Amino acid sequence: MARIEQMISIVTGSIGLLVAAIIIFMMRRDTLHAQHGMGWIIVALCFALLGFSPEIIDYIAQNFGVAYPPVLAITMAIAVLVIKILLMDIERSRIEVRNQRLIQRMAMLEADLKSLKKNPPDTTGLKE
Amino acid sequence: MTVILIPAFNEADVIADVLGEIKAACDFPVIVIDDASTDNTVAIAEQAGATVIPLSAQLGAWGATQTGLRYALRNGYDTAITMDADGQHDAASLAALLEPVSTGATDVAVGACTQRGSWLRHIAWKMMKQTSGLRLEDITSGFRVYNRKAIRQLAGWRATLLDYQDIGVLLLLQSKGLSIVDVKVPMQPRRNGKSRVFHSWVMVVYYMCLTLTLGLSKRKFAHRYRSPYGAH
Repeated sequence: MARIEQMISIVTGSIGLLVAAIIIFMMRRDTLHAQHGMGWIIVALCFALLGFSPEIIDYIAQNFGVAYPPVLAITMAIAVLVIKILLMDIERSRIEVRNQRLIQRMAMLEADLKSLKKNPPDTTGLKE
Repeated sequence: MTVILIPAFNEADVIADVLGEIKAACDFPVIVIDDASTDNTVAIAEQAGATVIPLSAQLGAWGATQTGLRYALRNGYDTAITMDADGQHDAASLAALLEPVSTGATDVAVGACTQRGSWLRHIAWKMMKQTSGLRLEDITSGFRVYNRKAIRQLAGWRATLLDYQDIGVLLLLQSKGLSIVDVKVPMQPRRNGKSRVFHSWVMVVYYMCLTLTLGLSKRKFAHRYRSPYGAH
Protein backbone atom coordinates (compact mmCIF):
# COMPACT_ATOMS: atom_id res chain seq x y z
CA MET A 1 0.00 0.00 0.00
CA ALA A 2 2.78 2.37 0.99
CA ARG A 3 4.54 1.46 -2.23
CA ILE A 4 1.51 2.47 -4.31
CA GLU A 5 1.27 5.80 -2.50
CA GLN A 6 4.95 6.41 -3.15
CA MET A 7 4.46 5.63 -6.85
CA ILE A 8 1.52 8.05 -7.06
CA SER A 9 3.50 10.85 -5.45
CA ILE A 10 6.43 10.26 -7.81
CA VAL A 11 4.12 10.29 -10.86
CA THR A 12 2.24 13.49 -9.84
CA GLY A 13 5.47 15.19 -8.79
CA SER A 14 7.08 14.28 -12.11
CA ILE A 15 4.08 15.61 -14.05
CA GLY A 16 4.54 18.95 -12.24
CA LEU A 17 8.23 19.08 -13.12
CA LEU A 18 7.49 18.08 -16.71
CA VAL A 19 4.91 20.88 -17.05
CA ALA A 20 7.42 23.37 -15.62
CA ALA A 21 10.03 22.15 -18.13
CA ILE A 22 7.55 22.49 -21.03
CA ILE A 23 6.69 26.04 -19.92
CA ILE A 24 10.36 27.02 -19.80
CA PHE A 25 10.83 25.46 -23.23
CA MET A 26 7.87 27.46 -24.58
CA MET A 27 9.27 30.65 -23.07
CA ARG A 28 12.63 29.98 -24.73
CA ARG A 29 10.83 29.54 -28.06
CA ASP A 30 8.86 32.77 -27.40
CA THR A 31 5.56 30.88 -27.71
CA LEU A 32 4.66 32.01 -24.21
CA HIS A 33 5.24 35.50 -22.89
CA ALA A 34 7.55 35.49 -19.83
CA GLN A 35 4.93 37.47 -17.92
CA HIS A 36 2.40 34.61 -18.24
CA GLY A 37 5.00 31.87 -18.03
CA MET A 38 6.09 33.01 -14.57
CA GLY A 39 2.69 32.27 -13.03
CA TRP A 40 2.44 28.91 -14.74
CA ILE A 41 5.90 27.84 -13.55
CA ILE A 42 4.84 28.63 -9.99
CA VAL A 43 1.69 26.55 -10.46
CA ALA A 44 3.65 23.65 -11.93
CA LEU A 45 6.24 23.78 -9.12
CA CYS A 46 3.48 23.79 -6.48
CA PHE A 47 1.99 20.80 -8.26
CA ALA A 48 5.35 19.00 -8.15
CA LEU A 49 5.89 19.92 -4.51
CA LEU A 50 2.47 18.64 -3.45
CA GLY A 51 3.00 15.56 -5.60
CA PHE A 52 6.33 14.64 -4.03
CA SER A 53 5.23 15.40 -0.49
CA PRO A 54 1.45 15.13 -0.09
CA GLU A 55 1.92 15.42 3.68
CA ILE A 56 1.96 19.20 3.24
CA ILE A 57 -1.71 19.17 2.25
CA ASP A 58 -2.51 16.77 5.08
CA TYR A 59 -0.80 19.12 7.52
CA ILE A 60 -2.62 22.24 6.23
CA ALA A 61 -5.97 20.40 6.18
CA GLN A 62 -5.50 19.28 9.74
CA ASN A 63 -4.77 22.83 10.87
CA PHE A 64 -7.82 24.19 9.07
CA GLY A 65 -10.04 21.41 10.39
CA VAL A 66 -10.73 19.85 6.97
CA ALA A 67 -11.61 16.18 7.52
CA TYR A 68 -10.66 14.95 4.05
CA PRO A 69 -7.42 16.65 2.87
CA PRO A 70 -7.81 16.07 -0.91
CA VAL A 71 -10.93 18.27 -0.85
CA LEU A 72 -8.78 21.17 0.35
CA ALA A 73 -6.33 20.63 -2.51
CA ILE A 74 -9.13 20.51 -5.08
CA THR A 75 -10.90 23.57 -3.63
CA MET A 76 -7.68 25.56 -3.68
CA ALA A 77 -7.01 24.50 -7.26
CA ILE A 78 -10.50 25.57 -8.36
CA ALA A 79 -10.12 28.92 -6.57
CA VAL A 80 -6.81 29.59 -8.34
CA LEU A 81 -8.35 28.64 -11.71
CA VAL A 82 -11.38 30.89 -11.21
CA ILE A 83 -9.16 33.85 -10.31
CA LYS A 84 -6.97 33.16 -13.33
CA ILE A 85 -9.95 33.00 -15.70
CA LEU A 86 -11.37 36.21 -14.26
CA LEU A 87 -8.05 37.97 -14.78
CA MET A 88 -7.96 36.63 -18.34
CA ASP A 89 -11.40 38.08 -19.07
CA ILE A 90 -10.39 41.45 -17.62
CA GLU A 91 -7.31 41.43 -19.83
CA ARG A 92 -9.40 40.38 -22.83
CA SER A 93 -11.82 43.29 -22.30
CA ARG A 94 -8.85 45.64 -22.31
CA ILE A 95 -7.44 44.14 -25.49
CA GLU A 96 -10.85 44.26 -27.19
CA VAL A 97 -11.19 47.97 -26.45
CA ARG A 98 -7.69 48.67 -27.74
CA ASN A 99 -8.27 46.61 -30.86
CA GLN A 100 -11.61 48.26 -31.58
CA ARG A 101 -10.26 51.76 -31.07
CA LEU A 102 -7.34 50.98 -33.39
CA ILE A 103 -9.71 49.79 -36.11
CA GLN A 104 -11.75 52.96 -35.65
CA ARG A 105 -8.68 55.20 -35.82
CA MET A 106 -7.40 53.46 -38.92
CA ALA A 107 -10.78 53.95 -40.61
CA MET A 108 -10.80 57.66 -39.70
CA LEU A 109 -7.28 58.11 -41.04
CA GLU A 110 -8.24 56.27 -44.22
CA ALA A 111 -11.16 58.66 -44.70
CA ASP A 112 -8.85 61.65 -44.11
CA LEU A 113 -6.28 60.25 -46.55
CA LYS A 114 -8.90 59.75 -49.22
CA SER A 115 -10.18 63.31 -48.89
CA LEU A 116 -6.60 64.65 -48.96
CA LYS A 117 -5.91 62.72 -52.15
CA LYS A 118 -9.08 64.07 -53.68
CA ASN A 119 -8.38 67.69 -52.63
CA PRO A 120 -4.60 68.01 -52.17
CA PRO A 121 -3.57 71.06 -50.12
CA ASP A 122 -2.40 74.04 -52.10
CA THR A 123 1.41 74.10 -51.83
CA THR A 124 2.18 76.30 -54.81
CA GLY A 125 2.94 79.34 -52.66
CA LEU A 126 5.59 77.56 -50.60
CA LYS A 127 9.22 78.63 -50.96
CA GLU A 128 11.71 76.07 -52.15
CA MET B 1 -21.74 72.64 -37.08
CA THR B 2 -23.94 69.60 -37.46
CA VAL B 3 -23.12 66.27 -39.05
CA ILE B 4 -25.22 63.25 -39.92
CA LEU B 5 -23.71 59.85 -39.10
CA ILE B 6 -25.01 56.70 -40.76
CA PRO B 7 -23.56 53.31 -39.83
CA ALA B 8 -24.07 50.93 -42.75
CA PHE B 9 -23.55 47.24 -43.35
CA ASN B 10 -24.47 45.81 -46.77
CA GLU B 11 -27.02 48.51 -47.56
CA ALA B 12 -26.20 48.93 -51.26
CA ASP B 13 -29.87 48.52 -52.26
CA VAL B 14 -31.20 51.40 -50.20
CA ILE B 15 -28.35 53.71 -49.19
CA ALA B 16 -28.60 55.87 -52.33
CA ASP B 17 -32.30 56.57 -51.69
CA VAL B 18 -31.69 57.28 -48.01
CA LEU B 19 -28.86 59.70 -48.78
CA GLY B 20 -30.98 61.35 -51.50
CA GLU B 21 -33.80 61.97 -49.02
CA ILE B 22 -31.42 63.43 -46.47
CA LYS B 23 -29.90 65.72 -49.09
CA ALA B 24 -33.37 66.91 -50.06
CA ALA B 25 -34.22 67.66 -46.42
CA CYS B 26 -31.04 69.43 -45.24
CA ASP B 27 -27.53 70.61 -46.13
CA PHE B 28 -25.64 68.91 -43.30
CA PRO B 29 -22.56 66.89 -44.27
CA VAL B 30 -23.31 63.17 -44.25
CA ILE B 31 -20.80 60.59 -43.07
CA VAL B 32 -21.40 56.92 -43.77
CA ILE B 33 -19.46 54.55 -41.55
CA ASP B 34 -19.07 51.34 -43.48
CA ASP B 35 -19.06 48.36 -41.12
CA ALA B 36 -16.92 46.18 -43.42
CA SER B 37 -19.66 45.66 -46.01
CA THR B 38 -19.16 42.98 -48.62
CA ASP B 39 -21.28 44.70 -51.28
CA ASN B 40 -20.65 48.07 -52.93
CA THR B 41 -22.16 50.23 -50.20
CA VAL B 42 -18.98 52.31 -50.07
CA ALA B 43 -18.94 53.17 -53.77
CA ILE B 44 -22.65 54.02 -53.84
CA ALA B 45 -22.42 56.19 -50.73
CA GLU B 46 -19.42 58.06 -52.14
CA GLN B 47 -21.20 58.56 -55.43
CA ALA B 48 -24.14 60.04 -53.55
CA GLY B 49 -21.80 62.64 -52.04
CA ALA B 50 -21.24 61.21 -48.57
CA THR B 51 -17.89 60.96 -46.83
CA VAL B 52 -17.19 57.29 -46.11
CA ILE B 53 -15.23 55.99 -43.13
CA PRO B 54 -14.33 52.42 -44.06
CA LEU B 55 -13.89 50.08 -41.09
CA SER B 56 -11.49 47.26 -41.87
CA ALA B 57 -13.20 44.82 -39.50
CA GLN B 58 -16.82 44.56 -38.49
CA LEU B 59 -17.50 46.33 -35.18
CA GLY B 60 -21.31 46.18 -35.13
CA ALA B 61 -23.77 49.06 -35.31
CA TRP B 62 -22.54 50.74 -32.14
CA GLY B 63 -18.84 50.32 -32.98
CA ALA B 64 -19.52 51.98 -36.33
CA THR B 65 -21.58 54.76 -34.77
CA GLN B 66 -18.84 55.44 -32.23
CA THR B 67 -16.33 55.75 -35.06
CA GLY B 68 -18.54 58.47 -36.50
CA LEU B 69 -18.79 60.21 -33.13
CA ARG B 70 -15.01 60.12 -32.72
CA TYR B 71 -14.66 61.56 -36.22
CA ALA B 72 -17.18 64.28 -35.36
CA LEU B 73 -15.22 65.15 -32.20
CA ARG B 74 -11.91 65.27 -34.08
CA ASN B 75 -13.35 67.50 -36.76
CA GLY B 76 -14.97 69.96 -34.39
CA TYR B 77 -18.67 69.28 -34.98
CA ASP B 78 -20.96 70.41 -32.14
CA THR B 79 -23.97 68.30 -33.00
CA ALA B 80 -24.20 64.78 -34.38
CA ILE B 81 -27.32 63.13 -35.73
CA THR B 82 -27.31 59.35 -36.01
CA MET B 83 -29.64 57.59 -38.45
CA ASP B 84 -30.05 54.05 -39.69
CA ALA B 85 -29.06 53.25 -43.25
CA ASP B 86 -32.09 51.08 -43.93
CA GLY B 87 -34.53 53.93 -44.46
CA GLN B 88 -36.41 53.50 -41.17
CA HIS B 89 -35.81 57.08 -40.14
CA ASP B 90 -37.54 59.94 -41.89
CA ALA B 91 -35.28 62.78 -42.94
CA ALA B 92 -38.38 64.98 -42.69
CA SER B 93 -38.36 64.57 -38.88
CA LEU B 94 -34.82 65.94 -38.59
CA ALA B 95 -35.91 69.46 -37.69
CA ALA B 96 -38.22 68.27 -34.90
CA LEU B 97 -35.55 66.00 -33.44
CA LEU B 98 -32.81 68.62 -33.70
CA GLU B 99 -34.82 71.40 -32.06
CA PRO B 100 -34.48 70.48 -28.33
CA VAL B 101 -30.70 70.01 -28.70
CA SER B 102 -30.05 73.12 -30.80
CA THR B 103 -32.01 75.31 -28.37
CA GLY B 104 -29.93 73.89 -25.52
CA ALA B 105 -32.97 72.39 -23.77
CA THR B 106 -31.35 68.97 -23.65
CA ASP B 107 -28.08 67.20 -24.41
CA VAL B 108 -29.51 64.21 -26.25
CA ALA B 109 -32.76 63.73 -28.18
CA VAL B 110 -33.99 60.25 -29.05
CA GLY B 111 -36.45 59.80 -31.90
CA ALA B 112 -39.15 57.58 -30.45
CA CYS B 113 -41.70 55.53 -32.31
CA THR B 114 -43.40 53.13 -29.93
CA GLN B 115 -45.87 51.87 -32.52
CA ARG B 116 -43.13 49.99 -34.34
CA GLY B 117 -41.78 46.58 -33.51
CA SER B 118 -43.09 43.16 -32.68
CA TRP B 119 -44.56 42.12 -29.34
CA LEU B 120 -41.16 40.64 -28.58
CA ARG B 121 -39.54 44.05 -28.93
CA HIS B 122 -42.18 45.61 -26.69
CA ILE B 123 -41.54 43.05 -23.96
CA ALA B 124 -37.83 43.71 -24.36
CA TRP B 125 -38.36 47.47 -23.97
CA LYS B 126 -40.43 47.00 -20.86
CA MET B 127 -37.83 44.75 -19.25
CA MET B 128 -35.04 47.13 -20.18
CA LYS B 129 -36.89 50.08 -18.68
CA GLN B 130 -37.62 48.17 -15.50
CA THR B 131 -34.07 46.98 -14.93
CA SER B 132 -32.21 50.12 -15.96
CA GLY B 133 -34.56 52.67 -14.44
CA LEU B 134 -34.43 54.74 -17.66
CA ARG B 135 -37.51 56.84 -18.32
CA LEU B 136 -37.56 56.75 -22.09
CA GLU B 137 -40.07 55.43 -24.56
CA ASP B 138 -37.93 53.98 -27.33
CA ILE B 139 -34.69 52.74 -25.84
CA THR B 140 -33.45 50.91 -28.92
CA SER B 141 -33.97 53.75 -31.40
CA GLY B 142 -30.90 54.65 -33.44
CA PHE B 143 -32.38 57.99 -34.54
CA ARG B 144 -30.72 60.38 -32.12
CA VAL B 145 -29.16 63.81 -31.78
CA TYR B 146 -26.12 64.33 -29.54
CA ASN B 147 -24.59 67.66 -28.54
CA ARG B 148 -20.84 68.20 -28.14
CA LYS B 149 -20.89 67.21 -24.45
CA ALA B 150 -22.57 63.91 -25.29
CA ILE B 151 -20.27 63.29 -28.25
CA ARG B 152 -17.24 63.76 -26.00
CA GLN B 153 -18.56 61.22 -23.49
CA LEU B 154 -19.44 58.67 -26.16
CA ALA B 155 -16.13 58.98 -27.98
CA GLY B 156 -14.25 57.77 -24.90
CA TRP B 157 -12.95 54.27 -24.22
CA ARG B 158 -15.69 53.50 -21.71
CA ALA B 159 -18.25 53.61 -24.49
CA THR B 160 -16.10 51.32 -26.65
CA LEU B 161 -16.83 48.48 -24.23
CA LEU B 162 -20.52 48.59 -25.17
CA ASP B 163 -21.94 46.18 -27.72
CA TYR B 164 -25.20 47.93 -28.54
CA GLN B 165 -26.23 51.56 -28.64
CA ASP B 166 -29.29 51.24 -26.40
CA ILE B 167 -29.18 50.89 -22.62
CA GLY B 168 -25.42 51.07 -22.17
CA VAL B 169 -25.06 54.32 -24.09
CA LEU B 170 -28.07 55.94 -22.41
CA LEU B 171 -26.96 54.88 -18.93
CA LEU B 172 -23.45 56.18 -19.58
CA LEU B 173 -24.85 59.56 -20.62
CA GLN B 174 -27.20 59.62 -17.65
CA SER B 175 -24.40 58.79 -15.22
CA LYS B 176 -22.45 61.78 -16.54
CA GLY B 177 -25.41 64.03 -15.74
CA LEU B 178 -26.51 64.61 -19.34
CA SER B 179 -30.20 65.08 -20.05
CA ILE B 180 -31.99 62.85 -22.55
CA VAL B 181 -35.46 63.45 -23.98
CA ASP B 182 -37.83 61.56 -26.21
CA VAL B 183 -39.14 63.15 -29.36
CA LYS B 184 -42.04 61.37 -31.02
CA VAL B 185 -41.30 60.76 -34.70
CA PRO B 186 -42.84 58.55 -37.35
CA MET B 187 -40.73 55.63 -38.57
CA GLN B 188 -40.89 53.58 -41.74
CA PRO B 189 -40.58 49.82 -41.96
CA ARG B 190 -37.09 48.62 -42.90
CA ARG B 191 -36.59 48.71 -46.65
CA ASN B 192 -33.80 46.23 -46.61
CA GLY B 193 -33.27 43.06 -44.61
CA LYS B 194 -34.19 42.68 -41.01
CA SER B 195 -33.06 43.70 -37.55
CA ARG B 196 -29.57 42.50 -36.70
CA VAL B 197 -30.84 41.47 -33.27
CA PHE B 198 -34.54 40.70 -33.44
CA HIS B 199 -34.45 37.97 -36.06
CA SER B 200 -33.31 34.83 -34.26
CA TRP B 201 -34.32 33.51 -30.88
CA VAL B 202 -30.78 32.71 -29.85
CA MET B 203 -29.67 36.27 -30.62
CA VAL B 204 -32.66 37.75 -28.80
CA VAL B 205 -31.99 35.67 -25.67
CA TYR B 206 -28.29 36.58 -25.75
CA TYR B 207 -29.06 40.25 -26.37
CA MET B 208 -31.66 40.39 -23.60
CA CYS B 209 -29.42 38.68 -21.03
CA LEU B 210 -26.55 41.01 -21.93
CA THR B 211 -28.70 44.14 -21.88
CA LEU B 212 -30.48 43.26 -18.64
CA THR B 213 -27.16 42.49 -16.94
CA LEU B 214 -25.82 45.81 -18.16
CA GLY B 215 -28.99 47.62 -17.08
CA LEU B 216 -28.88 46.11 -13.60
CA SER B 217 -25.16 46.57 -13.09
CA LYS B 218 -25.11 50.21 -14.16
CA ARG B 219 -28.46 51.18 -12.72
CA LYS B 220 -28.51 54.51 -10.99
CA PHE B 221 -29.48 53.76 -7.42
CA ALA B 222 -29.70 57.34 -6.22
CA HIS B 223 -33.27 57.95 -7.33
CA ARG B 224 -34.48 54.96 -5.34
CA TYR B 225 -33.49 56.63 -2.13
CA ARG B 226 -34.50 60.14 -3.13
CA SER B 227 -36.67 61.82 -0.55
CA PRO B 228 -40.28 62.29 -1.66
CA TYR B 229 -40.13 65.80 -0.18
CA GLY B 230 -37.63 67.02 -2.77
CA ALA B 231 -33.99 67.93 -2.52
CA HIS B 232 -32.52 69.10 0.72
